[in-house]
Amino acid sequence: MGYEWDFLVVLRDFDLLLLGLVNTLKVTVLALVLGVPIGLALALLRLYGNLVVRAPVGLLIEFLRTTPPIAQLFWFFFALPILTGIEIDPFRASILTFALQSSAFFAEVFRGGIVSIDTGQWEASKALGMSRNESLRRIILPQAVKRMIPAFLERAIELMKTTTLVSTISYADLLYQANSIAQSTYRSLEVFSIAAAMYFLVIFACSMIVRYIEARLAIASEAAH
Amino acid sequence: MGYQFDFSAVIGNWKLLLIGLQNSIILGATCLVLGLSLGLIVGGMRYMRAPIVNWPATAFVEVFRNTPVLVQIMWFFFAFPIISPVEINAFTAASLGLTLNTAAFSAEIFRAGIRSVEKGQWEAGKAIGMTYIQQLRRIVLPQAIRRMLPAFMNRAVELMKMTSLASVIAYGELMHKAKQISTLEFNPIEMYTVVALIFFALIFPLALFVQRFELKLKDSG
Amino acid sequence: MTEILRLRNLHKSFGPLEVLKGIDLAVAQGEVIVLIGASGSGKSTLLRCINFMEIPTSGRVFLHGTPVGRQTSSGVSYVERELTQIRARIGMVFQHFNLFPHMTALQNVMEGPRTVLKCSPDECRNRADNQLRKVGLEWKADAYPSQLSGGQQQRVAIARALAMEPEIMLFDEVTSALDPELVGEVLITMKELADEGMTMLIVTHELGFAYSVADRVLFLADGNVLEQGSPPEVLTYPKEEATKNFLRGHSSFRLPEPQLD
Repeated sequence: MGYEWDFLVVLRDFDLLLLGLVNTLKVTVLALVLGVPIGLALALLRLYGNLVVRAPVGLLIEFLRTTPPIAQLFWFFFALPILTGIEIDPFRASILTFALQSSAFFAEVFRGGIVSIDTGQWEASKALGMSRNESLRRIILPQAVKRMIPAFLERAIELMKTTTLVSTISYADLLYQANSIAQSTYRSLEVFSIAAAMYFLVIFACSMIVRYIEARLAIASEAAH
Repeated sequence: MGYQFDFSAVIGNWKLLLIGLQNSIILGATCLVLGLSLGLIVGGMRYMRAPIVNWPATAFVEVFRNTPVLVQIMWFFFAFPIISPVEINAFTAASLGLTLNTAAFSAEIFRAGIRSVEKGQWEAGKAIGMTYIQQLRRIVLPQAIRRMLPAFMNRAVELMKMTSLASVIAYGELMHKAKQISTLEFNPIEMYTVVALIFFALIFPLALFVQRFELKLKDSG
Repeated sequence: MTEILRLRNLHKSFGPLEVLKGIDLAVAQGEVIVLIGASGSGKSTLLRCINFMEIPTSGRVFLHGTPVGRQTSSGVSYVERELTQIRARIGMVFQHFNLFPHMTALQNVMEGPRTVLKCSPDECRNRADNQLRKVGLEWKADAYPSQLSGGQQQRVAIARALAMEPEIMLFDEVTSALDPELVGEVLITMKELADEGMTMLIVTHELGFAYSVADRVLFLADGNVLEQGSPPEVLTYPKEEATKNFLRGHSSFRLPEPQLD
């Protein structure tokens, strides 16, 4: 193959790529911070809300889980501003989309964790005279959250991967930066390879941490039985 | 909100949307078949001990699981053609990205499924004189496949969602057609709402089926 | 004798299945009542209706002569708030202990006073220390449930219920899930409690224990109290054919030989 690699051209613009990476992380973290509490609220509404609430919340969760995130992003970026008359920049549209999108997945993680707790735990706290809220807060959630940690972290990694979509609405994340450098330097092979490597390093490191935590939790629960 | 919805332009373009939907399904089906098959092979390689087989498979799985699928697609579309001896069009690039991604994830499902069958099953097969391949084919796989099915079906759900990413490199699937139509007709609200609903109608039954199936598996032990 | 609890014509159905078919029962302060009967006879459900773990389909429960719930034209209506207060006054111990696995023994016992009674930290700690000492497990205060034997877990569960300073204690087959050698320690704890004058309702298959601890034994069959009386009356000289058949199944009383650790 006669292709001459030239990474120097790319390295000159490396700070741009780093800036993109920072933006990627920014979107991920903000979406997480908003998505987790919304997810908990959705899960509780789906589990304990009255019938009028339960059905629409369930539908919302399923809708967010089974439509492509890019369709959601385009809807929030292109359609919502017309509907509401409020301008929305790529950053806000991204946060809004990914907070909601991930909250649906977190809701299912929360729900799965809560229903996995033995009914005896509800009974014991009820017999002590606790209300449902007290049981949930003091007895059920602390146990459920521990079991949910691996699923949570995996979801967070998925979220980080999904945020690459923000490049399609011109938010300057890592992928967007790579694309624009590729266009100005005509070195798309090097640029996209380096960007992919950067994604890999960050995400792989996170995956390793997740696996480590999972292994530790598994050992802890082995020891407990 | 005084907005007047007008779906006439969406309906007027139903032929374009139908072509897009068709292309989405072609892309999804192609990558599902290829991805699962390749995943089976890679999963088998990961299950073997010899480093010369195991390591490349492991590297493949880690790389494709730990990079965003959109980056994979973009790489195959913008970067790969430079070193590729054959022409790469949007469909090929999207197929490559989605197939390899699906293969990496299903390889792990496959491996975990085999591992979930307890040792005693292998030993029982061995004790009546079966070879390794016989144990795998007659005893372990039949049990493992059943457990793996929901995860594979979830993969199919994820894959159908991911086909929408091919729009980024201008492959004419549903999302891309929607983008075109909404630019021409200035109707992003109607267009993107409808396209989201089409995807939902397409994928939700599959997701629902997976949930039912998982419950059934749980009940039958 | 002061009456502490009265059940009047208590019914409970699960869907089409009627499990309790009109139970009447008056319990005196300090009385120990043992409920026996085949599985499915309704004895556990009866216990669970007393502290409203299950809401009775009809009939009333009186505590100290005061009815729980409000009579309306369409039946008795209950407010969840009132029920949680009732449950806080009645202790319950379960077959499977149901200790909170994320809390130490001490924290398990402190949890009720802390969250439900809103006691001060000192008060919670005091109560928990006292109750753990009473069941002989103060030395296991910092152990997690997973680090305790089944018998120890069940004693912690008893301490947890006692820390609420309940007026009545309900025991639902509390030794059924235990290995035989661990049954004794739990029965001893219960016997001590009975001797101190606690009002207790006990569902058990340990007939020897029932004989030695009960003031009154009730034999339940098919959702009704078929026979009741002193332990000798019911366990040794039963009148009803069903009671005799049931006792014949337990060929002899197994009197556990209690051993403290």
